[in-house]
Amino acid sequence: MAEATAPKPSSSVKLVLLGEAAVGKSSLVLRFVNNDFQENKEPTIGAAFLTQKCNLPTRTIKFEIWDTAGQERFASLAPMYYRNAQSALVVYDLTKPTSLIKAKHWVAELQRQASPGIVIALVGNKLDLTNESSGSGNALGEDGENDGAEGENDDGDARKVSTAEAKSYAEEEGLLFFETSAKNGTNVTEVFTAIANAIPETSLKGARGPGATQSSANRSEDQSRVNLTGPRDNASKEGCAC
Amino acid sequence: MESLSETPWDAVIEGTGLQHSLLALALSRSDKKILHVDANEYYGGAEAAFSLQDVSEWVEKVKADSNGTPFQSPTLWKADTEASSDSEKLSFSRAYTLTLSPQIIYTKSKLLAQLVSSKVYRQLEFQAVGNWWIYNGSLEEPLKRLPNGREDIFHDKSIDNRAKRGLMKFLKFVVDYENQTEVWEAHADSSLQSFLVFQFQLPQQLQTIISALTLSLDTPDKTVVRWALPRIARHLTSIGVFGPGFGAVVPKWGGGAEIAQVACRAGAVGGGVYVLGTGVKGSYAIEAAETEVPKVSVALSNDETVTTRHYISSKAQASSDAKVVSKVIAVISSPLPSIFASSIEGSPLAAVSVVVFPPESFTEEGLSPTHPVYIMVHSSETGECPAGQCVLYATTHQSQDSQAILTAAISRFLKAAEDNAKLLYKLYYEQEQLPGTSSLDLAFDDQMLDDVKAQWKTVLGYGDTEEHPAFMDFPDREGISPDDDDNDNDY
Repeated sequence: MAEATAPKPSSSVKLVLLGEAAVGKSSLVLRFVNNDFQENKEPTIGAAFLTQKCNLPTRTIKFEIWDTAGQERFASLAPMYYRNAQSALVVYDLTKPTSLIKAKHWVAELQRQASPGIVIALVGNKLDLTNESSGSGNALGEDGENDGAEGENDDGDARKVSTAEAKSYAEEEGLLFFETSAKNGTNVTEVFTAIANAIPETSLKGARGPGATQSSANRSEDQSRVNLTGPRDNASKEGCAC
Repeated sequence: MESLSETPWDAVIEGTGLQHSLLALALSRSDKKILHVDANEYYGGAEAAFSLQDVSEWVEKVKADSNGTPFQSPTLWKADTEASSDSEKLSFSRAYTLTLSPQIIYTKSKLLAQLVSSKVYRQLEFQAVGNWWIYNGSLEEPLKRLPNGREDIFHDKSIDNRAKRGLMKFLKFVVDYENQTEVWEAHADSSLQSFLVFQFQLPQQLQTIISALTLSLDTPDKTVVRWALPRIARHLTSIGVFGPGFGAVVPKWGGGAEIAQVACRAGAVGGGVYVLGTGVKGSYAIEAAETEVPKVSVALSNDETVTTRHYISSKAQASSDAKVVSKVIAVISSPLPSIFASSIEGSPLAAVSVVVFPPESFTEEGLSPTHPVYIMVHSSETGECPAGQCVLYATTHQSQDSQAILTAAISRFLKAAEDNAKLLYKLYYEQEQLPGTSSLDLAFDDQMLDDVKAQWKTVLGYGDTEEHPAFMDFPDREGISPDDDDNDNDY
């Protein structure tokens, strides 16, 4: 069949990570990109961004995942970090209530700085430190079970942020919501797949900054780009192939 | 995590202007412990880029206290019109990224090569500086496109054959001026214009065109041969390097401001610690025993005191004879299609166009510019304004009349572009050339890279003649795939 042999359309999507230090932002990415986890990982150093593909039935999304590089520590993220981000992962530590407050701050910052159509996922990480073996993700029915859990639990459950609390906030703000364990891999690919699915078809191919009209803008954007790595490559591979 | 004061820093860098940001980039793979602070809440220092809201705050701040900044006398004006269409009124604040550094970067600049070799170019987007125009004040064709090559010159009927021969001779000479010192060395300190007459018999019209290529802010008699020839050669040899029809580029989203942010991010990725909104109150050298390395104690404005091997200060000393320019940033209600239209086959769509007003090219209410006036026209492709509008960056030598001259030049330009563009927003300010701060040059000056390299060598402890690793030349980091898709992970 012709359809089966035709390559699926593929688009790059910039995804930015946000969240308090030590909530596991880099670990989530490491799990997603390399299916790996490092205990006691050093605070983020290393890469400007990592890439990972996500294959959907009708298209392929190539995530360009940008880490904060520690610039969140003193609120020193630059506008270029948010620029053209089509998706964001705002991470908190579900054993640390203050990290959810911080996450809400980042959501507000995204709403202020990022492109209007950005897809935001709120992620409570470190599910492995709770008693639940599998994450609640978007699953219904478990809400309320851990409501009001404060302090130490006899059975070693370190959860301090209830699923219901975070989830209702996410619903209010129109965010995707997941609880994950970067350590066990619980729900990690699910988060990225959900984001990939949530990105509207129309916003793929060349994101525009705030204030620019979407129509017909993309074509001229490719026309104005200058390739610094040589005139021979002027017909950009991604841009003009179609 | 350790507090700032507990960490023994190798270098404390103050200010995130372009130069210090490039230093952070240069040091990003050095394993040195770097603390990079900026008293401002934003990146970029004198090369920052602002939303409308940011501009208003900046204006208030400079008005209140311009000490230690190269800026003075800011005035802000906004049209209060009841506009019918969106492009005829100002959009929301963040739809604009107005830059204090609309510098163009010639394609031959070492900066571009270093952004490529340091791998950060992938986080930047470059656009072409396409058309150059000269305003001559004539009724029939007030704006004349600069010839873009020999063919253009041959076809130009307004240049007589004798002048054409002289021009060809000059163009052939200037790209090889370094090897033809006998032609110009005796005239090195003469004005460019007299040199063009004396050696090449060029008429006034061609002198003006060639002078425009230097982007000189001085009067013609002060634009001397030794300074001008390398700039003209740079202009001519830069055309075609990255594609046909252009010789310079600008980074999208605010020029130098964007490079500064990307360079600082590279510093952070390399482990550098970034603190905005925190400046340096003072510093003193710590007395060290003979065997110890000398250290500096730096008092931060957040009342922490840190200890470092090297302190790279952003304190600039004002000097009495410093050059001062007047600048206007204006938002207008038209995309100015005639200005950006390409005449060269296969050239990228220009996002920036340069308009040159030679001295005395107009007289308005008794005022005539004594110095050249330049307008860098940025289309919405630069990401600096919404579609349907343009940002104009006008610059001239500062004088009593410079604000009026700039305003007149902008309105004459809009009239000449045969456009009904309205002025929506205008920021006037003056900028002084202070040592250690941004250059007033309209084109990026590679001298900055030499300064960065010298600072980089100091921090790394390499002597002047000592061997050192390649400057700004880094391998790809692990996990980053090159531009092709082969190395991608998949699941």
